[in-house]
Amino acid sequence: MNDVPNATRFVGQRIPRKEDRRLLTGHGAFTDDVPIAGALEACFVRSPIAKGRIVRVDAAAARQMPGVHAIYTVADFEPLNAVVAAAGGQGVNQPRMGLLAIDDVRFVGDPVAIVVADNRYLAEDAANAVLVDYESEDAVVTIAQARVGAPAHRELDNNLGVGARSADDDPELDALFAKAAHVVSHTINHRRLTHAPMEGRAVASVPTGAGELTVYVSCQSPQQMARFISEAFNLPNANVRAIAKDVGGAFGQKISPGREELSVIAASLMLRRPVKWAEDRLESLTCAYTGREQEAHFKMAFDADARILGGHIELHSNVGAYPAGIHANALVTTLFPGPYRVARNGFKSEVWYSNTTGLAAYRGPWAMESLARETLLDVAARQIGIAPEEIRARNLITREDQPYRMCTGPVLDHVTPRETLALALKKIDVAAFREEQAEARKKGRYIGLGMAVYVEPTTMATAGVLSSETAYVRIEPTGKVIAMMSTHSQGHGTETTMAQVIADSLGVPFADVSVVEGDSSRGGFGAGAGGSRQAVLGGGSARLACQKLLEKLKLVAAHVMNSQPEFLEVADGKISVRGEPEVFQTVKQIAQIAYLTPSRMPPGLELGLESQARYRPDTPIIFSNASHACTVEVDVETGLVKILRWVAVEDCGAIINPSVVEGQIAGGVVQGIGEVLMEDMAYDDLGNPRAATFKDYLTPTIHDVPLIEYDHLETPAKNEGGFKGVGEGGAIIGPPTLVNAIADALAPFGVELTQIPLSPDYLLKLLEGRTPAHAG
Amino acid sequence: MKPPPFDYFAAHDLEEALEPLAEGGGDALVLAGGQTLLPLLAYRLAAPTLLVDINGVAALQGISRVGDGVRIGAMTRQATILRDPIIAAQTPGLAMAARFVGHTQTRARGTLGGSLSFAEPAAEFPATALALGARMEVRSRDGARTLEADEFFLGPYTTAMAPDEIMTSVTFPDWGPDARVVVHEVARRSGDFALVGLVMASRVEAGKVVRTAISWFGMGPTPLRSLQAEQAMTGQAVSDLDFAALAELAVADTDPPDDIQASAHYRRTVARRIFPRLARQTLEAVG
Amino acid sequence: MSEHAIEVILNGRPVRARVESRRTLGDFLRRDAGQTGTHLACEHGVCGACTVIVDGEAVRSCLMLAVQADGRKVTTVEGLEASDGSLHRVQQAMQDAYALQCGYCTPGVVMTLAAALEANPKPTEPDLMEALSGHLCRCTGYQGMMKVAKRLAGGGE
Repeated sequence: MNDVPNATRFVGQRIPRKEDRRLLTGHGAFTDDVPIAGALEACFVRSPIAKGRIVRVDAAAARQMPGVHAIYTVADFEPLNAVVAAAGGQGVNQPRMGLLAIDDVRFVGDPVAIVVADNRYLAEDAANAVLVDYESEDAVVTIAQARVGAPAHRELDNNLGVGARSADDDPELDALFAKAAHVVSHTINHRRLTHAPMEGRAVASVPTGAGELTVYVSCQSPQQMARFISEAFNLPNANVRAIAKDVGGAFGQKISPGREELSVIAASLMLRRPVKWAEDRLESLTCAYTGREQEAHFKMAFDADARILGGHIELHSNVGAYPAGIHANALVTTLFPGPYRVARNGFKSEVWYSNTTGLAAYRGPWAMESLARETLLDVAARQIGIAPEEIRARNLITREDQPYRMCTGPVLDHVTPRETLALALKKIDVAAFREEQAEARKKGRYIGLGMAVYVEPTTMATAGVLSSETAYVRIEPTGKVIAMMSTHSQGHGTETTMAQVIADSLGVPFADVSVVEGDSSRGGFGAGAGGSRQAVLGGGSARLACQKLLEKLKLVAAHVMNSQPEFLEVADGKISVRGEPEVFQTVKQIAQIAYLTPSRMPPGLELGLESQARYRPDTPIIFSNASHACTVEVDVETGLVKILRWVAVEDCGAIINPSVVEGQIAGGVVQGIGEVLMEDMAYDDLGNPRAATFKDYLTPTIHDVPLIEYDHLETPAKNEGGFKGVGEGGAIIGPPTLVNAIADALAPFGVELTQIPLSPDYLLKLLEGRTPAHAG
Repeated sequence: MKPPPFDYFAAHDLEEALEPLAEGGGDALVLAGGQTLLPLLAYRLAAPTLLVDINGVAALQGISRVGDGVRIGAMTRQATILRDPIIAAQTPGLAMAARFVGHTQTRARGTLGGSLSFAEPAAEFPATALALGARMEVRSRDGARTLEADEFFLGPYTTAMAPDEIMTSVTFPDWGPDARVVVHEVARRSGDFALVGLVMASRVEAGKVVRTAISWFGMGPTPLRSLQAEQAMTGQAVSDLDFAALAELAVADTDPPDDIQASAHYRRTVARRIFPRLARQTLEAVG
Repeated sequence: MSEHAIEVILNGRPVRARVESRRTLGDFLRRDAGQTGTHLACEHGVCGACTVIVDGEAVRSCLMLAVQADGRKVTTVEGLEASDGSLHRVQQAMQDAYALQCGYCTPGVVMTLAAALEANPKPTEPDLMEALSGHLCRCTGYQGMMKVAKRLAGGGE
């Protein structure tokens, strides 16, 4: 770390990441990279049909194949009494669920048996030799089928997993719509996508000694994994150690263990041997949790000045057979009004099971609120005949409005929707673009400008496990600082950002701080990555722990230096009396006294330099916000879209590391680009996944993305450090920004875009038979 | 996604390679660049008993001028095709096609002969071979024969080669110094197979089309010639051509698939749209 | 199924092993040679994560059999770092540009760029972008990689 720009202040600096060296030199420790002596490898016998009864499983011949140690069906796991269930609250229609298929299969890829062999090659050989007879039944695949079809789960009466609505009758909302000068309705049929982390799911389960279990697992929080595993197998929590040093992306897919991970653990418990499974791409694409599939119908009422009076959103979600959690996705409705003045909002949400792979959170799982609202505003602007920036200007809340209580409950404060939008529009230069667009249209070229504004609920401090994180910080006798954090990185760079916060909070060099994550036996309990909250809660808990530690450091130093703690300051690892920097003790000297020389400690003070703090902000939700704008060219000959420019102006409060923040934004935006242009986890009529390879499931390449231009506002929230989350926003605001740009480009054709993804095939169908209105 | 079991034999010369293929009864497969075969094995969509690796067979290498064209060893890497000066000079259309084939990392191993033998309907080389009238020399233990491109591609992943034959070389005939070739494809991402692809080669003399060949890829079970359009163009003055009408004719001979990436209707529509521009580009610049 | 004795010059040192015919080079590197820096992320040649350098050329190690590497020089990401611990200039450029997040696809990206520089010390930016198009990354949106391509073009540091 020789190019750290500022030796005394690290927060706010573009500091190179501590993670990078090991990852760049091939010394990362992803789950399948960890050498484990004697590890066997697993693979699964999976259902080739979407729905049907299992008539017979014949594994006799397969068991005799070379290198095969065991083939288990769910019945073989009975002695373990494992408990497996999707998370779900009240009113949920919960299906029966086993580690493996019980009597029937419910989606293509449903694991029927697990094969454990000397290696994965032999395991696959044996899996192919397991004979399973099925009695096939008609599957429900789409939301339309789920509404009327036979239950995807035979023990349930119907396919409605859960339903929720604001009120059957809302005369007040009806009145707003009745008096509206304009009522604008829109629909989005968002097809299924999948997370496709570059590292699929992976687990290596190592039973060690009496009842102890070490589980290397690709996940978003080893603490959460240890909790889930200990509960699933009724093992003492202390006996379960979950380790995830490096994780190759997750995006919501790896919050809880899937049935496969639990089955591998079960097999290792049965065999009393280490068993590992690294999901391959076929499994990752077709059997791992998926995201998004939703139909949304929504409307807003506007007065004659295009001011929003009220809104309503209706959401239907297809969550497959075994989703990671079953809930009404209430945040979609809560956030539908966004940072706009909306007096009243209604909603209806229905969640449907089908015979497809289960759904999980995907980066900004509530993102339909922004996609719906922001596309609707553009549709409304076109219908009413005003500019998209104008309809936003008339409705966005101002600084003076804040704190602003949304009609749906949350309070917006310290957010800058107007300011970020103004900056984004200035940067993209709307006036110049409109001229260019008019010229282009004359030549038959269709370029468009899209914009979107949103608020992102980061750090939901009332949301159960998401509400807090913990930090245990100590200064070792070496003078080095070790922080055990409950944060976790799957690329987030928390080893770096947390170290920046700690170095500043203690006044020590960045290089002297090591952040330890990724091991449930070392950090305290926390949810890790999920809900865009690690900067806030990790940073907050680190700061609190460091404040306590700093006090003690000063107490000891004051005693040693014959001074008073309030006269001391700590900078660059040295403790000095303020104004007399030449007289100092190093942090290392004081640490050695604190641990090794009790006689020099202040009387009555506990030895050591250790501190722990758990942080939960007072604010229920810390909102960050952003405005993005992009320009595109749509090739109306082929339906292919080229993104020309992308401007992102975000306000995530005090920035710890701008490069890390920009990395989060870019990653989300580009996933959003994939979502809008190409990602489609399609199923055929029989429920067969149609994208089983990376040639079929398309994610963006380097040629499909622009170099993003950033601007940052830093409006601190009222929380420790003033940090706000930023992890999911790009994936929330990216899609509406891009959809709006494409819709703007195609405006002369009078079409509205109601499907995601906007495949070239879809766009050409939409344009078919239409001629552009004369460019005005 | 691990390959099923098979035996492996690395042949040092052609005879060594042909022998096990003759004995293998179709269960032995040739391993050329492996860039298509290995994915098939990983998905266990192929189950050979033996792979005969021909990467070490020197006779399958080499690029040379022959009487009426350029002869290219079947094991010539796609990367080599991109940068070889003889190919650039003699049959530039092939180099143009190579730009669209896979990625740098797969072109380093993928071969011309492998691509042609595999006959992926949306691949670039088969359509290029068809348009340019390439001749494939193939050999079995029983001897050699030469197959013309228009009798070579029989269906998706199906060619006129017998299971015991190995492609040894491909000859791309000269189209003359004035010939113009255009290779164009519409794909969703760079390196993807084409949704619609077109290879068009032409010779124009004194403003008249004296020879032309049009071949589509991604537009049917095999690369497809548009013979009706070719006939309609040949002998005509370029200035008299009705490109919109020709586009209709050119697309009439296609039979595009419906798949997850695009419908048949999309493919026909786009083909009809790109044809006039590409045809003009090929013909008018020749002058 | 046949087994084969092979000798591979791996990161400059000879490695001898017996491998099944079907074993991929990627699995050989990871499982038999302990070089787990090479990651398998799709095993069908699309994503580029497993890219290594074989006899000077960047290739997909999932699309080559281990037995085919017999007698060849193979360089993996572990072989790039200098003996004094300093990073290869591709690695350094990647770090400087924040071109990685989770780091899973990174070794393949690094090997592609290292091979490109080895083949042509003064590559153009489009050359490098073209080479990078064979890599899928799900975290970074390629922003850092684009900057790396710009920086390494023309032999710049």
